[in-house]
Amino acid sequence: MAGVYIYSDKTDIAQEIIGFARAAGKEAILLTLSEKDAQALQNSGADKIYVIDGKSELIENYSKAIADLLTKANAEFFAVGATPRGRDLAARVAGYLDCAMVSDVSSIEYSGQNLQCVRMMYGGAVQQNEVLSGLSVVTVSAGKFETVKGEAAIQTLELEADTRVTVVETAPVVKVGVDLGKADKVVCVGMALDKVEDLQIARDLAEAVGAELGCTRSIAEERHWLPVESYIGISGAVIKPRLYMSMGVSGQIQHVYGIRDAQLIVAIDINEKAPIFKAADYGIVGDLYEVVPLLTEALKK
Amino acid sequence: MSQVIACYKWVVDEADIRINTDLTVDLSKAKGKISDYDKNAIEAAVQAAASLNGKAIGLTFGTAEAKPSLKDALSRGLDEAWYINDQQAGQADGAGTARALAAAIKRMPDVSLIICAEGASDTYARQTAPRIGALLDLPVVTSAGKIEISGNTLTAVRILDDCLQTVKVELPAVIAVLPEINPAPIPGLKAVLAAGKKPVTELKTQDLGIDLAPKTSVTEFKGYIMNRKNIIFNEGQTADKVNALATALRKEGVL
Amino acid sequence: MSSEDKFDAIIVGAGPAGSACAYTLAKAGRNVLVIERGDTPGCKNVTGGRLYTYALEMLDEDLYEEAALERRVTHEQIMMLSGERAITIDFHQPGFNPEAKPPMSFTVLRAVFDEWLAAKAEEKGAIVACGIKVDQLIEQEGKIVGAIAGEDEMYADIVIAADGVNSFMAQQAGLIRDIPAKTVGVGVKEVIELPEKTIEERFNLQAGEGAARMLLGCTEGIHGGGFLYTNQQSISLGCVFTPEEAAQHKKSVHEIFQDIKMHPAIAPLIAGGETIEYSAHLVSEAGYRGIHKKLYREGFLMIGDAAGFVINTGYSIRGIDLAIVSGIAAARAVITAGDNVAAAGSYYMQELNHLKLMPTMKAADGYFEILETPWIYDKVPNLANDVFNSLFKVSGEVPQSMKNTVMGAMKANGLSLWQLIQLGIKGVKSL
Repeated sequence: MAGVYIYSDKTDIAQEIIGFARAAGKEAILLTLSEKDAQALQNSGADKIYVIDGKSELIENYSKAIADLLTKANAEFFAVGATPRGRDLAARVAGYLDCAMVSDVSSIEYSGQNLQCVRMMYGGAVQQNEVLSGLSVVTVSAGKFETVKGEAAIQTLELEADTRVTVVETAPVVKVGVDLGKADKVVCVGMALDKVEDLQIARDLAEAVGAELGCTRSIAEERHWLPVESYIGISGAVIKPRLYMSMGVSGQIQHVYGIRDAQLIVAIDINEKAPIFKAADYGIVGDLYEVVPLLTEALKK
Repeated sequence: MSQVIACYKWVVDEADIRINTDLTVDLSKAKGKISDYDKNAIEAAVQAAASLNGKAIGLTFGTAEAKPSLKDALSRGLDEAWYINDQQAGQADGAGTARALAAAIKRMPDVSLIICAEGASDTYARQTAPRIGALLDLPVVTSAGKIEISGNTLTAVRILDDCLQTVKVELPAVIAVLPEINPAPIPGLKAVLAAGKKPVTELKTQDLGIDLAPKTSVTEFKGYIMNRKNIIFNEGQTADKVNALATALRKEGVL
Repeated sequence: MSSEDKFDAIIVGAGPAGSACAYTLAKAGRNVLVIERGDTPGCKNVTGGRLYTYALEMLDEDLYEEAALERRVTHEQIMMLSGERAITIDFHQPGFNPEAKPPMSFTVLRAVFDEWLAAKAEEKGAIVACGIKVDQLIEQEGKIVGAIAGEDEMYADIVIAADGVNSFMAQQAGLIRDIPAKTVGVGVKEVIELPEKTIEERFNLQAGEGAARMLLGCTEGIHGGGFLYTNQQSISLGCVFTPEEAAQHKKSVHEIFQDIKMHPAIAPLIAGGETIEYSAHLVSEAGYRGIHKKLYREGFLMIGDAAGFVINTGYSIRGIDLAIVSGIAAARAVITAGDNVAAAGSYYMQELNHLKLMPTMKAADGYFEILETPWIYDKVPNLANDVFNSLFKVSGEVPQSMKNTVMGAMKANGLSLWQLIQLGIKGVKSL
């Protein structure tokens, strides 16, 4: 039987993983709880789409049932989109199967029957390559694979749910601020900024070049100067703009992870030994309060 | 008396990692620490134990190097600590770690709640809590930003990427908490002194009868260094440096 | 209060003084608590530097053998810098490493050494609590009876301040005011990593041997000097300045230090090395005159840098050994005093004399006068280099007489023969 079984609560990642499976010449079987998602993905190249029908609205509650399904179907592996819900489901399924799992792969590739995975560790400083063989689980982040087209047969699948965890209520979160993941240019502020009013210096630069404003984790989480969606880093926004310019950012590994795919990285900081300079294409060592206003003027022309 | 288990991990401090020019990773100068977010989890467990009128027990799976973690963990309000000591812990994968922890938990009486941090600062794989739940067939709640215990019911607010989801579960359960759950207070002097007197139970994986052979094979472990131009304007007047940068950016065509 | 809250002694600071004191007290069966504000002992401490082993021998026999030490020093060097030039005097004494006795000194790395010494104190039974800052002393009826850290109060028969230069505890106890800037220097230092073999080649050392070098003339005339010590796999390079003069100078301390690193005689020694540590710290510069008037009051003693036990002879700075000896002196005083805690202070002063710490510091006091002479920081190194320059210059011209060469150099440096003679007399008188 075999086949790659896929789940994601985000349709875009689901499409990408289907694309990966198809490109590797594998059967792609998508699982979803949402009839709506199934319809949206009907033409995404999956061989089959199973709409799960069960007593719980939480996909995580079907972990055991999905684990059984994978075993019965002799699945090759289970690929899940790396979102909070996806990771929870994936790890639980891996637990029920007591099988291997690689989280947040930055790349996967078939090598014969085995799966070669690459993942980052230590906040992004170290890369680990692992090989999976036999039924295993991976979680995959967005933007890794090309999508394909092709019609899928949609079927309902009754599965037993674990009903011990129930939903009391769901409050949608209104996202403040821009989705930095889609920004073409980003100006980033770091902890060297003295007071919240100084954000204006950054905003002026951002405006001059047509960039969005982002920040490091501490600016958002500790100082609360910008919303949580604005912080760039391994546990925040991972961005790939054409231009990233930072001021007063020291460049800790966790932050640099979020900008590694930027086309051009520019850093301004007073400390010549700041790690950000090792990660930058261009930089100026200097006092941001002096440098940035001058730069804003220079770039306006 | 109900027991609340706080699982924690002794990790290498990522700030001390050195990447050599040939991209090999030098961990020799790195100091160990309790993974940052585990401290928040330990505090959450201590508070949960208080509301259940129970005991808070720290549990860790590590090599001999993890021994100093016990005093640190115990100084944070835990009543006792369990330590699965095995040299293989250094290579254990998510499956093996969860197996070891679950096996130890099976030996503890009256476990009402198992709390882990959402992820460890070295791997941030986020597998431990869900796997433990699956192995023990207990309900799991992950990404918890807030928990409240009333009687035998735990209510948690999960911070998901697009919503705040409030869920309910009857204990016993496994919860993975985000650092938002509560701050991790710095232990005071008396807490540090008291830590030395609290009981520690040490276990060997042979006692637990588990197999730790990793199910993945690691083929490479190397530093990730970005190859960037590193053109840094350091000398001279600010105005000159700024002009040099502006010119460069125009040439690069990113404006 | 329960026995949990009361100790025989609370020591504030787990540096060499604090740990040596704790070790000695714990070995004698006393209940000791050491409170260290750093996450690990030594992480907040800086040294050139080196340790003179007699102090470890005094602490316990053969302790040095297992101590976390770097290289045993067999080359004592003085380097006088002037412009791009340098004169290096190297005194090689292989006898500093005889088989039978402990070598005279070893270079050390504080984070490693201090942690080791604190661990030894713990082995003897002392309790060392790290990451905790003592906020206040507890005073009752004119006596110090304990310390407060955060919300916790701990009581002891005696509190011993080992919290380093600019001792907060000593200020709290009312024994000192703020340190006048004149008595401290600010030191900056880098630890530069290099392979063992490279260090041995560059400094002409056998395996395990080390060089200790003082640098003069590198501070742009500011009262101060540089140092270089070879560790097993790194070089400690640094500089000490008086803050007042440094503040008035147009270059910053950091910039002057970077210039030293780039000096043609220094740069090749550290070439290819990676800076793994950059630190700065205050150090007492006044020697005997910097020792505080009162080192104790009832229930309270000061040891180590907190008490001002540092000797600066211009060509070397000693602090760690004195810190250890003072820690031992304090411990012995407390043990001798027994229940009569009030007597501990005067017993401490007696021990400081008995262990020869005070007499040593007094004997070294003469250096203070010499070090006060501003010319030794620029004129003297320049003069020496100028003279050597002339001595070794061969240009095809008729060479000058020795006398003219030297007089010419002195004039060029604005020094008269009389001034040099005065300096010589001063030196002889002081020392």
